Amino acid sequence: MSEAAAIHAHAPRPMEGIRVYNVKLGMWVFLLSEVMFFSGLIGAYIILRFANPEQWAAPGEVLNVTLTAFNTFMLICSSVTMVKAFAAIEHGDQAGLKRWLLATIVLGAAFVGIQVFEYIKLAEHGFVPMASQYAADGGGPLYGSTFYTMTGFHGAHVTIGVLCLIFTLVKALRGHYTEEYYSGVEIMGLYWHFVDLVWIILFTIVYLI
Amino acid sequence: MANKKPNYYLVWLYLLVLTIAEVGVAFLSGLPFEVLVFILLSLAIWKAALVAMYYMHLRFEPPRLVIIALAPLPLAVLITIVVVTMEVF
Amino acid sequence: MSTTQLLAPNVTAQHWADPSHPDDRPFIRRYIFSTDHKTIGNQFMFMSLFFLLVGGALAMMIRWQLGWPGQPMPGGGVLPETMAPGGILLPEFYNSLVTMHGTFMIFFAIMPLLVGMFGNWLIPLHVGASDMAFPRLNMMSFWSAVPAGFIMLASFVVEGGAAGAGWTAYPPLSAVPEYSGVSTGQQLWCVSLIILGFSSLMGAVNYITTIVNMRAPGMTWMRMPLPIWSLFITAILILLAIPILAGAAIMLLFDQTIGTTFFLPEAGGQPLLWQHLFWYFGHPEVYILILPAMGVASEVIANGSRKPIFGYPAMVGAIVAIAFLGWIVWGHHMFQSGMNPLLGSSFMLSTMIIAVPSAIKVFNWLGTIWRGDIHFHTPMLNALAFVGMFVIGGLSGVFMASTPVDIYIHDTYFIVAHLHYVLFGGSLFAIFAGIYFWFPKFFGRMLSPTLGKIHFALTFVFYNLVFFPMHNLGLGGMMRRIYDPNQYGFLEPLQPMNTFVSVFALALGVSQLVFFFNILWSLWRGEKAPENPWRSNSLEWSLASPPPHGNFEAMPAVYRGPYEYSYPGRGEDFWLQGEPPDGGAVHAPTGGAPVGEGVPQ
Repeated sequence: MSEAAAIHAHAPRPMEGIRVYNVKLGMWVFLLSEVMFFSGLIGAYIILRFANPEQWAAPGEVLNVTLTAFNTFMLICSSVTMVKAFAAIEHGDQAGLKRWLLATIVLGAAFVGIQVFEYIKLAEHGFVPMASQYAADGGGPLYGSTFYTMTGFHGAHVTIGVLCLIFTLVKALRGHYTEEYYSGVEIMGLYWHFVDLVWIILFTIVYLI
Repeated sequence: MANKKPNYYLVWLYLLVLTIAEVGVAFLSGLPFEVLVFILLSLAIWKAALVAMYYMHLRFEPPRLVIIALAPLPLAVLITIVVVTMEVF
Repeated sequence: MSTTQLLAPNVTAQHWADPSHPDDRPFIRRYIFSTDHKTIGNQFMFMSLFFLLVGGALAMMIRWQLGWPGQPMPGGGVLPETMAPGGILLPEFYNSLVTMHGTFMIFFAIMPLLVGMFGNWLIPLHVGASDMAFPRLNMMSFWSAVPAGFIMLASFVVEGGAAGAGWTAYPPLSAVPEYSGVSTGQQLWCVSLIILGFSSLMGAVNYITTIVNMRAPGMTWMRMPLPIWSLFITAILILLAIPILAGAAIMLLFDQTIGTTFFLPEAGGQPLLWQHLFWYFGHPEVYILILPAMGVASEVIANGSRKPIFGYPAMVGAIVAIAFLGWIVWGHHMFQSGMNPLLGSSFMLSTMIIAVPSAIKVFNWLGTIWRGDIHFHTPMLNALAFVGMFVIGGLSGVFMASTPVDIYIHDTYFIVAHLHYVLFGGSLFAIFAGIYFWFPKFFGRMLSPTLGKIHFALTFVFYNLVFFPMHNLGLGGMMRRIYDPNQYGFLEPLQPMNTFVSVFALALGVSQLVFFFNILWSLWRGEKAPENPWRSNSLEWSLASPPPHGNFEAMPAVYRGPYEYSYPGRGEDFWLQGEPPDGGAVHAPTGGAPVGEGVPQ
C-alpha cells in the first residue's frame, strides 16, 4: 500500500462496490450497450441473409478481401500498441506512453483511410447501399445495404476512437497522466480494444462467410 | 492486483495466426458451407475472447466485473436465435 | 499497481457540502448548466411536465374527434389549414395526433419523469453520495433530451406534418412517404428518438455506476430503498434495450432517406424484422415505464401505512424476475403477424408467467397496508390508486397474453384501455404520488394538501370513467387508431359511449390544471417544508429541504434498512437510516468497506 493509500485508509469510504474505480466501471457499462447495438445490426444482417441468400455474392467476388485482411492486421497491431501505451504509463514511462499512443493514432487513422479508399473503389463498381442503383457484379441490394451499415458504424466508432486518442495524446503531452493516475489511458484502451473486437467479428461474418 | 502481465506480443502473434487461418479456411479448404460457417465463427469468437481477456484485462479483473461484462451476451444470442428461428419455421 | 490507489478516486472525488462556505456558483452553473443531480432532477421534472401537457392536449383533440366526429373543434380555428380547416380535424392530422400523443407520453413524459426525475432526485441521496458518479455526463443527458423533445415538437410545423405511422412506426407505412403522407416528420421522429437514446444511455451508465460503487458505508444491497432497486434494474433495461431501438431507427432512417430496403419487401427486405427489433426493445421499455413506479409506490405505501414493507426480499426478487422475463416475451405484441403457433405458444406462456412476480408485488403491498396505521396523505392516496389501477391493467394484460383472445381484440380499444390502465393508472398515479412526496424535499415548500386531494379525487373518478368504457368499445370491435368509427355501420351504436368517454376525458384534462396550479403556486407560496414532513426513514430526510450542494456534510453511515417504521419499543414510529443506534453511541455499521476503514469517526 502506498503513502497516498495509507492517508485514505482512515477516511470514511463507501461500500466496497465492485472493486473497480468509477470511470472504468462506467466505460464497461457503456461497452455493454455497444454490444447490444452491434447485436441488433448483426441480427438484422443474419435474418436478411437467411431470407435472401441469392443476394449475397461468394466471399471475395465483390469485396476485396486481401485489402481488408491487411486492414484487419493493422487494427490488431493498433491494439497491441494501445496496450503497450497503457503498460508504459502503468510503470510511469512517459516517453513510452506518448510513443505508443502516437503509433495507435497512426494505425487507426490508416485503417479509416483504407476503409474510405475501399468504399470509393466499391462504389465505382456499382456496389452501393441504395437499392435502386445497385449495379455490382454479383449479389443484390441488401448485400450493399448491410455491408455499408455494419462496416460504416464500425468505421464511425474507429473515427471517434482516433479523435479521443488524439485528445488523450494531448493530455499525455501535457503530463496529465502519471504512474498513480492513468484511468484516462486505461478506459481509452478499453474502448479501442472493443472496437477491435467488433471488427474481428464483422470481418468474419461480412467478408469471409 | 500484483498480477503477472501477459506477453502482449505473444497475444498479437496468436491473433495474427488465427486471422491467417481464417482467411485460409475461407478460401482454400473447400469445406461445405455449414461446416465453414461453424469453423469461421469459432475462430472469430476465439479471437474476440483473446482480445477481451488479455488486451481488455478481463482475465485479471475481479469476478464481479467479469459477470457484468458477460451479462448481455445471452440477450444478444437470444435475439439472433429467435429472429432466425422465425425465418426458418 | 495497487488496488487501493485505483479505488482512491471513489473517496476523493466526492465533494461534500460545506456549511461554512457559501454556495457561490454563478446563476448559469446553478440553475441551467448545473451538474448537481438535484437541479437536473428538477429540470427533468419541468421538461417532462411540459411534454405531459403537450401530450395531454393532443389527447384532448383525439377525444374531440371521436366524441363528435366531423364537428368543428372549439378553438380549432387557430390551427392551420393543413391540420384542421375550419376547426374540423383532417384524417392525416388525426394520424399525427395519435402517433405524437403516444410518442410524447412514452418517451418525453413518463420515461423522463420516472427515470430522469426520480433517478436524479433519489439515487445519490438514497445511497448516501454527494452526487452522481459522472456529474457532467448527467448534465449532458438532460441537455440532449431537450433538443430531442423540441425536434419532435418541431415536426408538427414541417411540410407534411408530424409522424403519422403510430408510435410503433411499422414499416412499410413509416418508410414510404406515399403511404402515410408524411416524409420529413417521420424522419425527424427517428432522429429525435436516436438523440433521446443517447440521453437515456448516459443516464443509465451514471445510475449503474453510482449505485454499484458509491453506496455509503452500511448501505448494503438489501438495505437499499426499493426505488433505488427498481431504478437500478430499470437502468440495466435501458442500457441493453435502447441500443436496439437506436439501431433499428437508424436502419429505418436509411430506408427513408438514402433508399436502402431493410424493411421494404420489394427488394427482399423484411417488414417483420422491424417488429422484432422494435418489440425486443419495446417490451423491456414497458417495464422501464412501470418498475420505477412500483418502487416509488412501495416507498410511499410503507410510509403511509407506518409499517415495514412486507416481504422486502420478495419485492426485490419480483423486480428482478419481471425485468428478466421482460426480455423473452416480446413476441406477444406480434401474435397477428403470422407467427408459428409453437413460437406463439411459448411467448404466451412466458407472458403469463410475468403475472406471478406482479402478483407477488401486489400481495406484498396489500400485506404492507394490512393492519397498518394508515395515513391518507396525498401521496398515499395516489399510491393506493396505483395499486388498484395496476391490478385492473394487469388483469386485462392476462386476457391479451392469451393468443386466441388477442387475435380478436388485437389493435382494438381494449388495448388502448389496457395500456392506459397501466401507464396512466399505474405509472402516472405513482408519479403523482412521488411528486407530492418529494416535492417538499427538492423545492423546500409543501404542495397544498387540499388542492392535492381535490386533484386526486377528480383524476381518480374521471380517469375510470374515461378508460373503463374503452374495454367495452374494444370488445365491440372499435379499432385502435380509427379516425371516424361511424364509417362502419356496426360501430355506430357505440357513438354514445364514445361521446360519454370524450366528455369525461375533457374533464380529466381540465382537472390536471389543478395539479399544475398547485405546483406553480406552491413553488412560491407553499408552506415551508420541514426536514422530514412525512416522518420517513431514508437518508435524504435528515437533510435540509432542499439539501445543500454536495448533499451531506460528510459521508453518511447507514445502520439499518429503509423501512423500520413502528419499531417496537421506540417512542417514534420512524427510524432514520443514518441515525446511530443507542441514541448516539457510534458503532461500526456492518457490511462496510474493509475492516477499520469504513467506520466514520
